[in-house]
Amino acid sequence: MNLLRRTVRIPMNTFCLHRTFAASALHLAPVQLPSRAESHLWYLVPDEVKSVSLLGQYSEILSPCENEYVACIRGEQLKKTALLARVLVRTTIARYQTDGYIDPRSLKFRKNIHGKPELEWDNDDSGSRPPVQFNISHTASLIACGVTNSSPIGVDIEKKDRKIQNNIISFARRYFTPNEVERLSSISDLNVQRQHFLKLWTLKEAYVKALGKGISALPFSTFTIKSRNFEKKELNGSGDSDPEITVESVDGQRSLLSNWQFTLLELAGTHFAAVCVARDGSMGDKCFTPKKLTVMKTIPFVGDESMSGTDAAIVCGF
Amino acid sequence: MASSTAGSSICMKSASCSLEHAQASGRTSRLRSVSLPTNKTFQSLRSSTGPYRLQVCCAAKPETVGKVCEIVKKQLALLDDSEVTGESKFAALGADSLDTVEIVMGLEEEFGISVEEESAQSILTVQDAADLIEKLIEKKATN
Repeated sequence: MNLLRRTVRIPMNTFCLHRTFAASALHLAPVQLPSRAESHLWYLVPDEVKSVSLLGQYSEILSPCENEYVACIRGEQLKKTALLARVLVRTTIARYQTDGYIDPRSLKFRKNIHGKPELEWDNDDSGSRPPVQFNISHTASLIACGVTNSSPIGVDIEKKDRKIQNNIISFARRYFTPNEVERLSSISDLNVQRQHFLKLWTLKEAYVKALGKGISALPFSTFTIKSRNFEKKELNGSGDSDPEITVESVDGQRSLLSNWQFTLLELAGTHFAAVCVARDGSMGDKCFTPKKLTVMKTIPFVGDESMSGTDAAIVCGF
Repeated sequence: MASSTAGSSICMKSASCSLEHAQASGRTSRLRSVSLPTNKTFQSLRSSTGPYRLQVCCAAKPETVGKVCEIVKKQLALLDDSEVTGESKFAALGADSLDTVEIVMGLEEEFGISVEEESAQSILTVQDAADLIEKLIEKKATN
């Protein structure tokens, strides 16, 4: 059977990153694994990926099962996001090669008992197995993938202008903790209150995802996310390096869970993004060194742009 | 003079999408038994002149499924004529975790029930939600 190849010309202004795109060269630039004191957050804006040819090549990276799932989804935008989310995960992880090239198509995934996706390695892969932990989150307009070296990670994003169908305080009373309801109720500006709700939601989701559980396994009413600045606590120790966002278990004892670090960002100007990472076990409680988060915007096979310290990645208050 | 059987079980396989992408725990097959509770009415599919009578009933009333579809469409801002049926998977409709919880809360208010977060994991399709609602309504009525 003869397969006729068509040459497709891609207009240069299709990609905001202004990189050249060679249809035949599916090259993934390797990335160094973050140290134990760092995390990476990659994000992709689906609207910036317009090339039909590129999208077709992306489909070739997915497993048959993943392609089948994408085909089941109704609506072009949702289909595209589902495709791009899987492409982002595969290509990002493949770039952290520690021992030779990893074909993104070769990666295998499974879900843990609560549905969290994990990497699955064959027994004979032990040589080229980078100790990557990852977690993904997406909306219709943004896809984010967090990566660490060995530490459990959870990522959640929400559009900043997302409307809540239910009454926010009723929702919070039903699903959150009394402390969180009190904090939300104290905000008189309804728009600020809605935004605080979304930030709180992303932080809680990021936490349960980092733990490898979902809301079913760890109901949101069992733990409180707090802001040190809001609480105005006098903490012992070094002040500025104490975590701003903390999580407390509501188990009658109110125990502070100090082994989790949270970062809350305004991402790409359009979304709130919460990243929750397990702190390195070797660090003592008294010496808290926040893990550095590096934010990169990417289009797989096309290029990356560092966004740390720009308006696209602003650490926001809580 | 064949007497109709009071109930018959029909196993239905859910939609053809890959099960690997089910949100819940790693079940590898998903056969749902639909059994006929004796206190529900049912329609016969074949005339009584046949050798046997086949009777089918959905686990949840169509009105319940319809109401769930309405709430789902509203939450996900889908158009009235968009195709949402009992077989529709929340994830495939574009529902994220916040949407799902908002939908469950909407269902709680609509039907006057309480859905434990632990049950949320098992709600993958509109039909699952409708079945759970009717189960909770029945449980509430008998308590």
